[in-house]
Amino acid sequence: MLNVEKIRADFDVLNPESPAKAPVYLDSACMSLKPRQVVEAMNDYYANYPACAGRSSHKLGDKVTKKVKKARELVTEFINAKSDDEIIFTRNTTEGINLLANSLGLQKGDIVLISDKEHNSNLVPWLRLRDKIGIVVRICPTNEDGTFNLDNFSQLVSGAKLVSVVHTSNLDGVTNPAKEIIKIAHQAGALVALDAAQSIPHKKVDVRDLDVDFLAFSGHKMLGPTGTGVFYGKLELLEKLSPFLVGGDTVESTSYDSYKMLPAPEKFEAGLQDYAGIIGLGEAVKYLSQFDFKYIAEHEFKLNAYITNELQKIPKIKIIGPEDPKLRSGIVNFYIDGTDMHKFAVMLDEMAGIEIRSGRHCVHSWFENKKIYNSARVSLYLYNMMEDAETFITNLKKILEIL
Amino acid sequence: MPCIVALIVFGIMGIFSASHRALAEEAFGCVFKRITFRPCNTGFAEKIKGKILSKLLVRSAFLAKMVNRHYEILSWIFFILMVGSTIWVGRGVYNFYVYGSCNGLNESGFCAFDPSGENNKVTSVGDDSSCGITQQSEQNVTLENINLSGFPAINTGSKDTVVFVGCYACDYSRRAYPDIKKLVENKKSNYIFAHYPAKGDTMFLGEAGYCVQKEYPEKFWEFNDYLFTADKDYVLNKSNLDEILSKFGFDVKKISDCANSAETKTAVQDQTTELKKTNLYGTPTIFINGKAFVGPKPYRVYRSAINKFIFF
Ligand SMILES: Cc1ncc(COP(=O)(O)O)c(C=O)c1O
Repeated sequence: MLNVEKIRADFDVLNPESPAKAPVYLDSACMSLKPRQVVEAMNDYYANYPACAGRSSHKLGDKVTKKVKKARELVTEFINAKSDDEIIFTRNTTEGINLLANSLGLQKGDIVLISDKEHNSNLVPWLRLRDKIGIVVRICPTNEDGTFNLDNFSQLVSGAKLVSVVHTSNLDGVTNPAKEIIKIAHQAGALVALDAAQSIPHKKVDVRDLDVDFLAFSGHKMLGPTGTGVFYGKLELLEKLSPFLVGGDTVESTSYDSYKMLPAPEKFEAGLQDYAGIIGLGEAVKYLSQFDFKYIAEHEFKLNAYITNELQKIPKIKIIGPEDPKLRSGIVNFYIDGTDMHKFAVMLDEMAGIEIRSGRHCVHSWFENKKIYNSARVSLYLYNMMEDAETFITNLKKILEIL
Repeated sequence: MPCIVALIVFGIMGIFSASHRALAEEAFGCVFKRITFRPCNTGFAEKIKGKILSKLLVRSAFLAKMVNRHYEILSWIFFILMVGSTIWVGRGVYNFYVYGSCNGLNESGFCAFDPSGENNKVTSVGDDSSCGITQQSEQNVTLENINLSGFPAINTGSKDTVVFVGCYACDYSRRAYPDIKKLVENKKSNYIFAHYPAKGDTMFLGEAGYCVQKEYPEKFWEFNDYLFTADKDYVLNKSNLDEILSKFGFDVKKISDCANSAETKTAVQDQTTELKKTNLYGTPTIFINGKAFVGPKPYRVYRSAINKFIFF
């Protein structure tokens, strides 16, 4: 069981001086809140040792180097990677996927298979490569309820060089059967990249158990600092990738007409890094690791089940994805036919400080295809209480009464 | 359309509050298409509607429902009112600039820029002479068919003509006098001065002025300036007149003989009668190229009246 009250005490934003002003924050899929421990770790860097890592051999520099190393180790352990060298710090999931797209050396005609529910971050880089060098982007249709269709996948995977799919969807919260996908893909000779932006914060992701080749996620959706992320790759694959950002910190030595690249991960981390962010991310990993993901999932499910149940009583509301909240992790994304859902978000915020997201959630392609204008999304995390869910439902009903 | 309304409303509110300034900025973007209606961003109109409805909803669900139902019509009504009041405000600002009163030339109704009505205060002309705001019905104050030939004048032949009808005893005339002097100096316009005894016993000064102009025309303006700018109580005290006259080096006897003569009395009386024909209702009344400005206006008002294009 999670002690939500105790968890909430770590988040300053949830504890303003006047408790009535505490936000009902239901937008963690976009950006999670950050516990004090993370903020303090970052501040500590800025206040006490704001120096370079790796390069400088003075005391402050040493301290940064050690802290960054520690953060890398924490991430390695967190996702059960084989080696710290497999962990590349990025700014976000998007950067990780771009890194892959630009480093993998795909050629004209190479097939990249993605699903029909990808975040723009796992769609646009591939479409771009299609336009630039002529790769083929193949789309694997999911089932009507948003769940993954392994049959479709098995057929479409043949001939693919790379499968790049979302692990847990930010659209409907559905978690794709990564292990099966990877197994099938590997059998077909394809590499697999997972967009783990929404899965990492909510469930145990074990890269070795999954046998995934590449994995990208963001720190800011898992209690970490904003603008931090991780790109994981199997070391033997990373060695073959050719980095697309090069310069300082990526090379062992240079002459006027040559350079010798460092091994991974350095060769991918060009220039000075966001050390405060990396250290903060390490702290977030530490923070999250004190909980058993099983309890986080249980907690999210409890709230999701309540919201789902209440929404299902309102005939005009349609929930995107499967009906069963168990299949939707912490996400309830809903819409009303022919209605711009932005006003719900605006009104909920105005009325009771309830913060949800409205729009197309960067999955425009799916909305275009389904001819749905937009939707309103509630996304839950470990610091949400049952009261948050109740406040949301009460106010939503009030709005529905007048609209 | 809602963007424009919002831009104006928030633009004005933004002068006073930072949060409205941010909304004004958004409205600005909305007007100029920076925030277009995209499914991933809240449209500005939608946002405003949501904000309004939720404010109402926490008070009365019924009201919120009604507003939601008739939102389009309400926003049109609001828009029209908005445009109307904007024009009204614009007109007020223009009037205030050009006439010194939001409501138009010589209108003494309430004006936010001149809350105490200073620019329209006059000493009223009539039996009950007192200084203060005098609300006048539409009056046709005019110089038409008025013979001004007997009054002191300078810069004759200039294309612009300024006629100052004022009273030595009245504070409002005294306030306007230096501005008119400055105006005439700057614009080299034809300037005619007419004393009108609106308040108290100033007839004797009018007569003295008449005689100074007759005997020492080159010194008249200096003398007149003095009467308007020196201490009022001193000037208005009859017993000080001789001292004043001698200060200017005038022949005191000559002037007082002249002033006491029946001919002067008639002439001055005739002048007052002539001035009454202008239908003036208070002093100062300043005619600039025939247009009457009643009450002491800010200098820019007089200047704008002479300028061809308000500012130059
Ligand atoms: C499934 C998924 N992929 C990718 C991203 C992009 O993450 P970021 O913006 O941190 O790069 C998101 C963020 O919303 C996401 O939900």
